[in-house]
Amino acid sequence: MNDAITELPWMWAGLFAYAVATLLAFRNVWQIGADDTVAALPSRRGEGKILLAIVIGVLLLTIALAVRWDRLGHGPFVNLYELLMSQLFSLGLIYSIVYWRVPSLRASAVVVLPLIWILGTWILFLEPVDSRFPPTYHNDWLWAHVGFGKIFLSFCLVATGLAGVILLRAIPRFGRCFAHMTDEALDQLAWRFMMLTLVFDSLMLIAGAVWAQDAWGRYWSWDALETSSFMTWLSIGAGIHVRLTYKIPIRLGALVILAIFFLAFTTYFGAPYYSEAAHKGVI
Amino acid sequence: MIPWLRRLASTRLTLFGMVLLAIGAGLSYDNPADVSVWVLAGPLLLLALNLFAAILTQPGINRRPGLLMFHIGLLSICALAAIGRLTFFDARVEISQNSAFDVAAVDEIRQGVFHLGELQRVQFVQQAYTVEYRPGLVRGITRSHLQVGDGRGGWQTRVVGDDTPLIIDGYRFYTTFNKGFAAVLTWTPTQGEAITGTLHMPSYPLFDYKQANSWTPPGSEEEIKFWLRLETGLDREKDWLLDVNKSEAVLVVNDGEQRLELQPGQDINLPGGQLRYEALSSWMGYKIFYDPTLKWLFIAAMLTVLGLCLHYWDKFRHQSMASAVVTDKQNKMRK
Repeated sequence: MNDAITELPWMWAGLFAYAVATLLAFRNVWQIGADDTVAALPSRRGEGKILLAIVIGVLLLTIALAVRWDRLGHGPFVNLYELLMSQLFSLGLIYSIVYWRVPSLRASAVVVLPLIWILGTWILFLEPVDSRFPPTYHNDWLWAHVGFGKIFLSFCLVATGLAGVILLRAIPRFGRCFAHMTDEALDQLAWRFMMLTLVFDSLMLIAGAVWAQDAWGRYWSWDALETSSFMTWLSIGAGIHVRLTYKIPIRLGALVILAIFFLAFTTYFGAPYYSEAAHKGVI
Repeated sequence: MIPWLRRLASTRLTLFGMVLLAIGAGLSYDNPADVSVWVLAGPLLLLALNLFAAILTQPGINRRPGLLMFHIGLLSICALAAIGRLTFFDARVEISQNSAFDVAAVDEIRQGVFHLGELQRVQFVQQAYTVEYRPGLVRGITRSHLQVGDGRGGWQTRVVGDDTPLIIDGYRFYTTFNKGFAAVLTWTPTQGEAITGTLHMPSYPLFDYKQANSWTPPGSEEEIKFWLRLETGLDREKDWLLDVNKSEAVLVVNDGEQRLELQPGQDINLPGGQLRYEALSSWMGYKIFYDPTLKWLFIAAMLTVLGLCLHYWDKFRHQSMASAVVTDKQNKMRK
């Protein structure tokens, strides 16, 4: 490992803060389950601690990104290591804002934070190799594309967290932990986030198409990432269409959200495995 | 309302069309040559008809401004994408330094059946270019200088690159990795007029080890082989700028009988005439792209998203997300 990789301690510290937030989230929910009171509510103080741990994690990851940015002279846009690092930052940031502003979804932390930790575990196994900024990345539309993409994935993650809670409620052992909520309310909230997901996914594709037109002389060419992201967009549209048209069972709807998240996740983090670069022809 | 129009507006048909489109998208991955365009065009046409019928027949859509805008936007995107495929133009061209763009040199042409073909109206002159390289020969920014008509009879300089195309009459010219050096040669036959032209060498630095080409003079059957021995300052371990103005080259000429090294300005007598190596020059390979729907596609896509936002705003503005699960009363009961 290169001694000059000064961002690593900051990143590890950020991941540790996320791990603390995850443990606190489990403890908070577990305490509700252990409470004999009917429909006990989660501890507000406990939720505050979870939020604080996530915010500390985001701040530490911000420093890690800034240090790397300063060292390499470009943003975290190129290789898988940078992609994971920036996603850990943006998912934590957006989730912390939503967690703060929408108290009714805070129980989703027991699903959302472990999902974020999948990325956290993954990045620990990657070599923090330096990347070189391709000439086609000197484009303002890259920022719009990446920005909308991060909001899209974050909202999809929130919806997935709520869908996860719906499914956990169906298991008797965990049901008590989420007894203060109703499936209907969780379902409504989850699909509202899926609708926001559709908006930001659409904006991501539009900004990406404009960037691709400038960068590679075509706005769409069905490369690995484009094909997969179109499938994701289509699946979100189809999911919302089915949910609004056929009034599908809540748990089936939750499974649909999980499937969409899986597709979005593989689009983001699977494409580098079957494509040499995030976008073919990137160099 | 016409019954068949209602059936065409079926939400089940929408779902069916989406599934077909997903299959079509999967089959289109990486643009395989053996997959018909109809795997995408078919589902898109079906969805366009379904959307059109839904807009006409479904009050749930046509009485809600946001949702109506969203569906019209989607329909417009389908139509514009189809028009784009019918009128697009895609090609490659190599242009020598100090030469005007020549439509006859355009190669690898792919175009829609209704493309009007106004490329001959495009006029510009290629000048020098520079390409930045980082250690390991990682290509950076390309700056290609062009002379473009200013519309008042004069010329203006434009600098274009990989992501800053020259746009004339809707045709977009992007620089590519494919570029290299050329030798400017003058051939003076024993009898007849002298002709001057450029001989392009293979792409550089991709093929820096074989900067060679051959040429057969008019009226001759003897092929002359050329090799350009370049001094460009290429260093794979350091930052490097490819710049023809800072490069030098010796032209090695071999006509089968003699091998001679020429500096710029020197000439050689060959069977049938005299060959003069005028100067070292360069060429740039461009990708040409034309799609008249690009601007309208962008507008349609943005209006589609705007329609969706308006619909959500109208639907959810009176429903707070925060009150969806835990009520205020319950909040007050918290520990």
